[in-house]
Amino acid sequence: MGSKEMILRLQDVSRMYEQGQETVRALDNVTLSLEKGEFVAIAGPSGSGKTTLLNVAVGLDRPTQGKVWIRDHYLNSMNTHALARLRLEEVGFIFQSYNLVPVLNAEENAELILLLRGVPRQKRKTAVLQILEEVGLAGLEKRRPSELSGGQQQRVAVARAIAAEPALVLADEPTANLDSETALSLLKLMEKLNQEHATTFLFSTHDPRVMKRAHRIIHLVDGRVDRDEPQPSHG
Amino acid sequence: MWIVLKIAWRNLWRKPRRTVLTVVTISLGLALLLIFFGIGDGGHNQMIEAAVRMGSGHVVIQQKEYHAKGGIDRLLDIAQKQRAEEWIRDMEPLFPIQHILMRTYASGLASSSDGSAGVQIIGIEPQSERVASRFDDKLIAGDFLDSMSGNEVILGEGVAQRLDLGVGEKMVLMAQGAGSTEIQSQLVRVKGILRTGLEESDQTLVLLPLAASQEFLNLGEGIHQVAILMSHSGPSTQVAEMGKKRLPSLEVLSWGEAMPELVDFIRIDNGGNYIMNIVLFLLIAFTVLNTLLMSVLERGKEFGLLHSLGLTPIKRFLMILLEATFMAALSGLGGFGIGYALHLYLNIHGLPLDLFYSGELSAVGVTFDPVIYSDLSAGRIFSSLALVFLLTLTLGLAPAWRAARSGNIHLLGRT
Repeated sequence: MGSKEMILRLQDVSRMYEQGQETVRALDNVTLSLEKGEFVAIAGPSGSGKTTLLNVAVGLDRPTQGKVWIRDHYLNSMNTHALARLRLEEVGFIFQSYNLVPVLNAEENAELILLLRGVPRQKRKTAVLQILEEVGLAGLEKRRPSELSGGQQQRVAVARAIAAEPALVLADEPTANLDSETALSLLKLMEKLNQEHATTFLFSTHDPRVMKRAHRIIHLVDGRVDRDEPQPSHG
Repeated sequence: MWIVLKIAWRNLWRKPRRTVLTVVTISLGLALLLIFFGIGDGGHNQMIEAAVRMGSGHVVIQQKEYHAKGGIDRLLDIAQKQRAEEWIRDMEPLFPIQHILMRTYASGLASSSDGSAGVQIIGIEPQSERVASRFDDKLIAGDFLDSMSGNEVILGEGVAQRLDLGVGEKMVLMAQGAGSTEIQSQLVRVKGILRTGLEESDQTLVLLPLAASQEFLNLGEGIHQVAILMSHSGPSTQVAEMGKKRLPSLEVLSWGEAMPELVDFIRIDNGGNYIMNIVLFLLIAFTVLNTLLMSVLERGKEFGLLHSLGLTPIKRFLMILLEATFMAALSGLGGFGIGYALHLYLNIHGLPLDLFYSGELSAVGVTFDPVIYSDLSAGRIFSSLALVFLLTLTLGLAPAWRAARSGNIHLLGRT
């Protein structure tokens, strides 16, 4: 493990919010790191700070204190524009909902990151068609999000997230709105992509079925890392 | 950039009914603006044409101070007349001239057996004046003067009524001649009666042949005015400026300088039109702003998504501006199409104002045709299109700024 490339590192990160007169500590001195190829779940009950952790990890939110790195990029010193650029280059996202741009079809959604990165057309098309086939969406390329089921939409989101081969894929409760069968199939897909492309996955969940598939689980309680343990079955 | 363009275009059609309604609203606003300009400018041009043909012409050359003080003795002599003609000949290749009219003016008294009336006696060259001033259209009785006319006159309708004169009847004209204080008088016969459309002229006008007027008023070969008529009033200021440089010892005036009250009227009328246009555009502006703002506000989560994926604030800003640009372009095309089609119709058939008003229409002493023909210049079209574009883009700035700022960090919720 020690020789592997460091993908994400958080050091003593805290995030406080003002809520009326009260200060809420959403993250409390969190320190963690992810290496290339890891498949990690952040688990915890609602309000434990999972999403805040994901936000801070990729520069969507700034820590009140502490330091964050993605690869060798130090996020604290980057401006909004540079952070946007970094996410474009290094991070893929899978959200629980509002996943896709509604006016673009499946192929265009999957292509979005590559387009924004300025990848040439031919290379883009080849990569997207291949990845859509890989996630089981061959033949549905021209469908808009409204013409796809929830599971299919999440698959498009997965395709978009990994099409540009990012260093880190971040997923926020990716199976929350899916039925068990679709959720399981999506998890298997993510796992397969993790193994085949050595892409690092970090996802939040409180679903035990999802946790079971993670190789490592970071348990958050009240914004603090309560436990950080590898899964024996994957260890 | 291509993807931003694509998303912007498709966003426009996400709620097609709203977009179509907004585009139609802006298009109708633009079309109305073009029609207002076309009818306004057309009406003004008709007024100017009516006034210049009976009055000063587009450019007038006369003795210094004649405009302010008048006077029978302020004559252009033969040499001055020749210099004026030379300049006109030199200028003609640049600004095509339709007519050059030589005129004399005198105030006098006309008497018949039924009374007398103060009149303005204008000496004219019948052949040129008949065509230039379109007198055939205005003649309501008798015939116009011709080269054979000696002591024959044409009367304004009001003069004929006041003196109770008809065609063929006689009257006496009296006026002070040049170079003396003696009153000249001459017996003349009425050859025709005119309704000019200029209220003041109809009440005072007496036309007689130039040669007869020179003899009657003791003017020799002198005239008071050379009036130049061009195809339209546009270049008259420029031509007058050239004339002032070329003929510094004479008074060269554009129609606007010769008839400042008409210029003021047009300016005031335009001012009223501009206020109407501003009100119209304020109403349109609220529609555009509402559409763009709603479109941005309801897409907060989507901007958050794009922000997360790495679409920079400037690109989100551009995306909304592009949506506004597309909307402006569609509206511009639609508005221009509708407006220009209406303009063409009104240019040919005219807008019959007599449907709404009875009686003659007149302003600042000019009675004008109640059928107004639209006249739309390229400048008006481009400025209106530019105005719609600028307005739509300016109104897009605030929503675009909002989109740029709305990278919703809480897209993922807060757990």
